Amino acid sequence: MSTVTTDAHYTSAEGAHAHTAGFLKTYVFSLDHKIIGLQFLFSTLIWFIVGGMLALGIRWQLAFPWRSMPLLGEWLASPEGGQIAPENYTMLVTMHASIMIFFVIIPVLAGAFGNFLIPLMIGADDMAFPVLNMLSYWFMWPAFLFMGSSFFVEGGAAQGGWTSYPPLSVLQDAAPGSLNGQTLWLLGLTLVGISSMLGSVNYMTTIIQMRAPGMTMFRLPMTIWSMFITAILQAFALPVLTAAGLMQLGDRVLGTGFFLPAGATAGNAMVASGGGQPLLWQHLFWFYSHPAVYIMILPAMGMVSDIISCFARKPLFGYKPMVYSISGIAGLGFIVWGHHMFVSGMNAALGMTFMVSTMMIALPSAIKTFNWLGTIWGGKIQYTTPMLFALSFVSMFIIGGLSGIFMAATPVDIFIHDTYFIVAHFHYVLFCGTAMAVFGAIYYWFPKMFGRMMNDSWGKVHFAATFILMNCVFYPMHILGMKGFPRRLADPYHYETFSNLLELNQFMSYCAFLLVGLQIVFFVNFFWSMFFGPRAGRNPWHSNGLEWQAPSPPGHGNFDFQPVIYRGPYEYGSPEVEEDYYPQTQPPPVVQ
Amino acid sequence: MNRFWSLLFLLVPIGGVATFVVAPYYNIWLPRDVSEQGHKIDSLFMFILWLTGIVFIGTQLVFVYFSWKYEAGTNKQPVKYSHGSHSLEVVWTILPAVTLLFIAIYQMDAWAEAKMRTPGLLPIVEVTGRQFNWDFRYPGPDGELYTRDDIVRTDGNLYLPVDEQVLLRITSADVLHSFFLPNMRLKQDVVPGMDQSMWFKAKQEGQFDIVCAELCGWGHYKMKGRVHFVTRADFDAQLETFRQEQNKVLADPPVVR
Amino acid sequence: MKLKQMMVSGMKSMLQRTGMNRYFIVVPYIVGMGLFLLLTGCEQSQPPEFRLNMVQMVSLETAPAYQQEIADVLGALFGTPDEPFAMPETGLDQSQLKLAAGPAWSGEEGSVYGLYRKHCVHCHGVTGDGRGPTARFLNPYPRDYRAGTYKFKSTYNATKPTDKDLYAVLYHGVPGTAMPSFALLPSSEIETLVEYVKYLSMRGQMETELINYVAEELGEEDGERIPFDPVSDQEQRGVIQEILAEIASDWGASAENVIQAEEAQLPQENRTAEEIAASVELGRALFYGNKANCLKCHGPTALGDGQRDDQDIWNKSNKKFQDDTALLLERVNENQGTSDLDAAGRERLATDVKVLAVRETVAARLYPVRNAIPRNLRKGIYRGGRRPLDIYRRVHAGIPGTPMPGSGPASLGAKGTLTDVEIWNVVDYVLSLPYEGPSQPQRALPVNAQNIAN
Repeated sequence: MSTVTTDAHYTSAEGAHAHTAGFLKTYVFSLDHKIIGLQFLFSTLIWFIVGGMLALGIRWQLAFPWRSMPLLGEWLASPEGGQIAPENYTMLVTMHASIMIFFVIIPVLAGAFGNFLIPLMIGADDMAFPVLNMLSYWFMWPAFLFMGSSFFVEGGAAQGGWTSYPPLSVLQDAAPGSLNGQTLWLLGLTLVGISSMLGSVNYMTTIIQMRAPGMTMFRLPMTIWSMFITAILQAFALPVLTAAGLMQLGDRVLGTGFFLPAGATAGNAMVASGGGQPLLWQHLFWFYSHPAVYIMILPAMGMVSDIISCFARKPLFGYKPMVYSISGIAGLGFIVWGHHMFVSGMNAALGMTFMVSTMMIALPSAIKTFNWLGTIWGGKIQYTTPMLFALSFVSMFIIGGLSGIFMAATPVDIFIHDTYFIVAHFHYVLFCGTAMAVFGAIYYWFPKMFGRMMNDSWGKVHFAATFILMNCVFYPMHILGMKGFPRRLADPYHYETFSNLLELNQFMSYCAFLLVGLQIVFFVNFFWSMFFGPRAGRNPWHSNGLEWQAPSPPGHGNFDFQPVIYRGPYEYGSPEVEEDYYPQTQPPPVVQ
Repeated sequence: MNRFWSLLFLLVPIGGVATFVVAPYYNIWLPRDVSEQGHKIDSLFMFILWLTGIVFIGTQLVFVYFSWKYEAGTNKQPVKYSHGSHSLEVVWTILPAVTLLFIAIYQMDAWAEAKMRTPGLLPIVEVTGRQFNWDFRYPGPDGELYTRDDIVRTDGNLYLPVDEQVLLRITSADVLHSFFLPNMRLKQDVVPGMDQSMWFKAKQEGQFDIVCAELCGWGHYKMKGRVHFVTRADFDAQLETFRQEQNKVLADPPVVR
Repeated sequence: MKLKQMMVSGMKSMLQRTGMNRYFIVVPYIVGMGLFLLLTGCEQSQPPEFRLNMVQMVSLETAPAYQQEIADVLGALFGTPDEPFAMPETGLDQSQLKLAAGPAWSGEEGSVYGLYRKHCVHCHGVTGDGRGPTARFLNPYPRDYRAGTYKFKSTYNATKPTDKDLYAVLYHGVPGTAMPSFALLPSSEIETLVEYVKYLSMRGQMETELINYVAEELGEEDGERIPFDPVSDQEQRGVIQEILAEIASDWGASAENVIQAEEAQLPQENRTAEEIAASVELGRALFYGNKANCLKCHGPTALGDGQRDDQDIWNKSNKKFQDDTALLLERVNENQGTSDLDAAGRERLATDVKVLAVRETVAARLYPVRNAIPRNLRKGIYRGGRRPLDIYRRVHAGIPGTPMPGSGPASLGAKGTLTDVEIWNVVDYVLSLPYEGPSQPQRALPVNAQNIAN
């Protein structure tokens, strides 16, 4: 090991970069990307619990329809018999999805890990625009308040589905949650958009401008590449959603008629205007939300690539093809949104073109999967907790990716559209995929965040429980979907076709209760290790990445030396050095 | 101990395949197909299922094998210091690309049949989704919709002739709904302000569920209907009964309980 | 003993080998037990209860002691939502009620318990007061059964609907409202629900009558409260039996009150287009004439754009309660503002403040008042059914509870505003309205296109 990486040469991080700032400046309105990243992380973990609880409500209703629900029942169900009222069920599905997507997955990937890792991994001392960065976090808070408070306004939170399709979401009398909850939901969404926008501008600038000497684009870790592509996707797609959201707000509050056709009514309610087109919203919404699907998976793929390469002690297989394939996703991602609308009434000829482009976007994912398999081939796999989560990502992503082909095939999609097959697909990608990658990333970078290690044995317990249970919850959804079981149905069993599915749903629900309950293992481990875990050195995993050359946790300004980069981040098992890793900052041996 | 994890990963292909093998015995499979065109969608589904199934088993087994073989404690070989292989990359780019493109082109005909080649028929019924019911309007004896002799039913029972190509006009009165006939393999969102059609030919008599498949508000789960496929003669008789019922001017004699 | 030691030592060595400590067993155990309790133990929530008609009670200033006594009497007469009970006098089928009441459970196939709670409660509420959790957001509001007034029926305005009428509403739903069709339920289940709806109606009517009785007959006498205790008071028991008999006979007589159209004046089958057109013309004349005066509410264009500032009886009673509360508030504010109140005035102010506090809590729970909107006859959506017979009944008997008056005789043998022939003419005209061409000259154009929607 070269002298550059030994601790002895540096004064402590605090000593070198100590700033005498107040508590508020240091921990609340901090401009430091690491603190902001952790703020994002803690916020998203809290919302993760809320979203999980909402999911339990859904599972309760599906397993025990119209039975009074314990604990949350009285509040959700009102005193009328203690059962979940049907509009509360639609609220549960809407808010579970909204919270998990907008408050958990997107901010935990881009906000928490993007913020924390980008400057560390490219060798910068902070983001390009620290104030913008702070604002991107604090713009989340009004969004939190809007969506959180919407649960307590009259009529409850939004009930139009997370896709918020008009006219349901626009007509005030069409759904109880459309009273005020939907308006608050739209405001929240717009603010999340602003936050992401500020973040993405910052990420792009930082990655392009602030790389350390020697850190060429093709020496960036996959995490950074994926964050970069994500930022581009966000920057180009988000304005569309923001505009669409404002238009829907206008329809609801100002009486404009962008999405309302003439003559639609709900009961005695009057429609103030007309002349709009409901499908317009779907086009605008999915023009953002399809790229958003990649926003929700690409950073996870990047982080998984880093973790797998590190614990397989082997260079990443096909680094450049990986980079090209995610860049390809960035391009193709903009021309596939129509595959969410195959049966929406959109021109059927368009369906064909979208089918072809959608099939093509499966290609980069396939390439990446093969490359991950190539990476563990011939390696020396260390089964640490982060590695287990990363490997399970690969295994689960194969399922989630393959089930996507069914939906891309338009005739098949006619049948499975809006059934549990879709629910199975996106849970395999988002929960079994992204959430597992995020868990892995937390276990992996925890030492860098807090300077302490998380408990590995507990981590493995957490992994095994989560891995088995989540498959028990989500895998049967595939066959439910094959039966035609539609999503968002409060009581599907009164249909003859679906009356035999109750028992399977009860099994899935029991597993879901256990799955959510056992996450407590993770939370206890997380908070216990924050204070009492064994101290980690700079580089506990013997990893090559630049971030591991900084102190743990890094002080203000990150590096206590000027990092100079000599190679890519995946030089594990290089014949040039004795150790099986070769940090990016280690100068090559002098040729004799 | 560490190899235990690769056994855990082995559960995925085993359980995954087992679920699909066992499911038909519990009647959790594609619902009975009673339409003429449904078998095309079914066979496409099964085609993709087999294809993805083979890829699924293959990749999972390779994954499990690698994770078993290259565990750090047991793999005594030095690490393969490889940054990738150009030819492999080309192979696993071209192969899936061709396959996927093939699937896409292979599907186009069925799609066109289901959604594009509208038969030149007059609609046999207009289906209107509203919160939270399916309403049906049959043209009366004059065969034309929106005239005085239309027969309107709000009880959720739709009657259609069997063994006959029928064209349905479907629309919505308020919000989005989706007219889903699982046994016909057909689904179409209904959008207020848009007229849409659906056409099919039923092959068997019987009663089947009509499901709403697009979130339409709190009563979404209540939007249940039933389609009855009957012979043409029964259909005409049923419509005549409906017509007489609808033109009723005299109440039935009261039944005193 | 030996086995136990072996197990303990084996466990210990296993823990040591795998680097785990005893928390690995204790913590999952606690978590598991917690989950088990969560799923099984905490399910006992309070059984739902029938709500009292507080609007009426507070309006009539029923004392809390009486409120409790009325609730007790009602409980003795009708049971609870989980354990309904019907006196034999009501003519209700006890076994049907049992099927309809109680918690819903769509568990094993064939189980049909708790039908009302499965299908109806989230709109109509446990009490049948139209105040289920979803009700607030429906337009129009769901029916409050407690008045025993039903809109779409075959009988004279002031009488009760027949079972068949209620069955028809469940079977066809009410198009244009949130009431769906339940035609796909087995007919036995629909009948069960009809029985339960009647039960809730009778219970509600009984409650209304009891509150009135208590307010009129009981109270303080010589500083002592007369308890409402029919168990020990023979006279009160007699009164209750009388009320019950009256309610039961009203419902029992519904079949006799079905409106029978005069057969001689029925429109003939197979009328020619000219004959229908002639009838339509006559109907149009009546529609716009002073005799039937339909245009007053349904508007000069029949778009339902006439008088729209009236309410149905359910909204009206709420509005009256709210208006009275507002008046009381005004009086209290006025009196509190004046300093020179005499002793009597001060006492009255004190009671006013107390009453106001009670009224305001009740008023706060009421839904916003909504006006009765006359039907847009050009949409071709008829809530009570689209058969000529249905329209005939609407015109003949009016729609009970709403501003729509009946034009036929109010009861058997009475004389109505319109003759049967004239009613049939109006029916023909109404049924022709949706198909009237848009270019056909109309008497007036809609003033504001925004109001056309309904």
